[in-house]
Amino acid sequence: MAVMTEIGAPPRDRLSRARALHWALAAALVLAGLVSLEIGAADVRFSTILARLARGEALGQMERIVLFDIRLPRLALGILVGAALAVSGATMQGLFRNPLADPGIVGVGAGAGLGAILAIVLGAFLPVWAVALAGNQLVPVAAFLGGWGSTLLLYRVSTRRGQTSVATMLLAGIALGALAGALSGILVYLADDRQLRDLTFWGLGSLAGASWAKVMAAGPLIVIAMVAAMTLGRGLNALALGEATAAQVGVDVQRMKSVAILAVAAATGAAVAVSGGIGFIGMVVPHLLRIASGPDHRALLPNAALLGAILLVLADVVARLVIAPAELPIGIVTAVMGAPVFLWILLRRRGITIA
Amino acid sequence: MTVTRRNFTALATALAFGAPFCALSRAVRAKDNASPDAARDVLSLGGSVTEIVVALGQQHRLRARDTTSTYPPEIQSLPDVGYLRALSPEGVLSVGASLILAEADAGPPEAIEVIRAADLRFVEVPEATSAAGILRKIEVVGEALGVPDRARALAAEVAGALAAALADAERPDGTKKRVMFVLSTQGGKITASGTGTAADAIIRMAGGVNAITGFEGYKQITDEAVGLAAPDVILMMDRGGGAAVADDALFSMPAIRLTPAGQTRSVVRMDGLLMLGFGPRTAQAVRQLNAALYGTEG
Amino acid sequence: MSLIAEDIRVRFGRRDALGGVSLTARPGEVTAIVGPNGSGKSTLLGALAGTLPFSGRVRLNGRAIGAMKPWELAAERAVLPQSCQLAFPFTVIEVVRIGLQAGTAGDRAEVPMQALARVGLAHCADRPFQDLSGGEAQRVMLARVLAQVWNPVQDGRPRWLLLDEPVSSLDIAHQLQVMEIARDFARAGGGVVTVMHDLNLTALFCDRVAVLAGGRRLALGRPGDVLCDEILSRAYGCTMRVSAPPLGGVPYVLPHSACL
Repeated sequence: MAVMTEIGAPPRDRLSRARALHWALAAALVLAGLVSLEIGAADVRFSTILARLARGEALGQMERIVLFDIRLPRLALGILVGAALAVSGATMQGLFRNPLADPGIVGVGAGAGLGAILAIVLGAFLPVWAVALAGNQLVPVAAFLGGWGSTLLLYRVSTRRGQTSVATMLLAGIALGALAGALSGILVYLADDRQLRDLTFWGLGSLAGASWAKVMAAGPLIVIAMVAAMTLGRGLNALALGEATAAQVGVDVQRMKSVAILAVAAATGAAVAVSGGIGFIGMVVPHLLRIASGPDHRALLPNAALLGAILLVLADVVARLVIAPAELPIGIVTAVMGAPVFLWILLRRRGITIA
Repeated sequence: MTVTRRNFTALATALAFGAPFCALSRAVRAKDNASPDAARDVLSLGGSVTEIVVALGQQHRLRARDTTSTYPPEIQSLPDVGYLRALSPEGVLSVGASLILAEADAGPPEAIEVIRAADLRFVEVPEATSAAGILRKIEVVGEALGVPDRARALAAEVAGALAAALADAERPDGTKKRVMFVLSTQGGKITASGTGTAADAIIRMAGGVNAITGFEGYKQITDEAVGLAAPDVILMMDRGGGAAVADDALFSMPAIRLTPAGQTRSVVRMDGLLMLGFGPRTAQAVRQLNAALYGTEG
Repeated sequence: MSLIAEDIRVRFGRRDALGGVSLTARPGEVTAIVGPNGSGKSTLLGALAGTLPFSGRVRLNGRAIGAMKPWELAAERAVLPQSCQLAFPFTVIEVVRIGLQAGTAGDRAEVPMQALARVGLAHCADRPFQDLSGGEAQRVMLARVLAQVWNPVQDGRPRWLLLDEPVSSLDIAHQLQVMEIARDFARAGGGVVTVMHDLNLTALFCDRVAVLAGGRRLALGRPGDVLCDEILSRAYGCTMRVSAPPLGGVPYVLPHSACL
């Protein structure tokens, strides 16, 4: 057959290139981690500490505290939250078949925030055994439930017969955000002064309160959500062709959607619970990766975890150095980096479903 | 101190990922300038605490301050470690103070926990909304700074001034003006002070009546609640807290317009730290507010 | 080893889209579903594909499709939708590989390129799918479907192509190309069920034809038997005459005369 001669050079394989990117990003994450441990407001340098440890010298108390109680948990939390936000964004965009979906923009973050505020303010009214059972997981789990509820609601409102309307999604997101904000406002009215202080700090979006307790609180939920999200690659690829087609190529669409929504809610909820609202990572990271190595979710999801962690760790370095010894809320830094990218995507989106 | 090669590599990496390089290097350089100065050993967190340190003649020992420490103006040249309630532990530790004096508001709790674990003295100065509370603050700060005699002298002076100011400000119940403290009017919504706050205390000390008694703390209130409270005077901070609302804007708010204060366009603006700080200048604040409420004879 | 539908009923809201239609498609044959707009052609195909909720029975190679998992169905039949909107900037070859992801052609990496070559678009492999014309996009989707069930017979069982108007946005040459691909698939032992709009192509390439009208089956049989004046006039609601050239020298072009 004549057409068979058309097979010439094998097509370039973006998937293997995207997988090669895993290693580059992993190396960059290690570097970013070293930067984060090396520089800070205090005159404590990781490189110096390593050299002294190598010589067998003991560390001063200041060095121990700055390194082990401040910078290390902060780095760990930055990696966890950055990865969680970016993977949530990538998963949500795949689920909604739209590159503008972002847990922060479409109100899932607000829902998670409402859950967290509920836990902070009403935690006092829970029976003692419930508080003891939940321990330091209480706020993250409440945020997860809040995020889950709002994701489900959002999906129900904005998706008809497997097609998501972007306009409906964004508007529903605004409504959800407003509703969650209003309910949060009511709760803030009920809060006492101590709780208010927690809320004010928490709403800013910051890694400044990083502690090992927070790492332990958010870590398990985020890790479980990451593992679950990584299984979604093939299914989300197929979903790019629509729900019906995804089912026809063998994807259990209902099950995949449930897993995706749970993973987004768990990762977003846990991240919001320990670091407040940090925007734009979830939208910018997957977008950059699609430009760099294509939209294949099998590579996109792990790469998003790595790049999200890198960007958040570096944003945190900036946040704590720009006005040292004081520091900026990291949400401001990510917004400054991310909002222009969001507008850029809006300007150049073409050939993308804008039903 | 020179920038090490590792440091340089690290910064270059940050640059490659779009981090503002200039900010980083500036921060690193700025730190290099902060040469250790054994005499400057105190980090003061909280405007009233800083005022007490200065009033005790210990200004030369201040090494850094927080954003709320704005008086006296000279101390504003000290490094600022950020907002009292959103401190960064590393920023606080980085100034190298061996004594930290902190108002009870300092936070967040995680940051304070880490700071307390470090090898330095952390003294929490109790909150105050009364004359006795101010004297207790002075005593705690004087003790921590090792100048108890000066503290006793200052306390005696402050106690005398306060007693005189309170006596002068006191007036018969029927003649007291109803005062509503407005923290902010952001978005057309009024956040006012209920009971149990510094604002409530200073209003009462200055011979006024807090017009809002239905709740504790600072809360947003409805227009109708404002009307019901019927304040004779609106009290606001003249700096910070988004309170720089022009009088016209304030009195054109529907909630305020119909109150006695609105009819007579009565608004008093005072420096926030002076009015609500409950430090050495509170006697002055009482006299100033009393004069503003009732005329200059106060 | 056939695709057998019995008494298929589908309701959309209060409207009966299909009111009890039966159809048997045999491997080795191209079975066409024709009828006027709204007659239930695509709905019937959706039921056969297991995409729509329906009442009745559909057996695929001897198994009830309701009892099959999505990936089991995907291994036995592939479905070409009428239209498809792609989210995200996948390239052409990546779209074809999505068909392969169902895993039915195993990890045979060469299949997607062969499928693209089969529809004559191997040179477009690296182009963004979103840059293609409507006709090219339709052929890429066909390549994806072919890649999913690459071997017409696997382990002695026929595989099935379910096509919903596969030539709707194609020019005549590509209409013939696509219909030949469908016929070749059937000749090699696979089964093809296709919704058709063009009665001439139907007559030319299909072995059996089901005529639907108003959600019911009017006729089922060989094109020569079914495509007659009486049945077509009833189905389409207007008087029709088969094999009658236009009067007065008006030119007419039929696909029969075209040659690839």
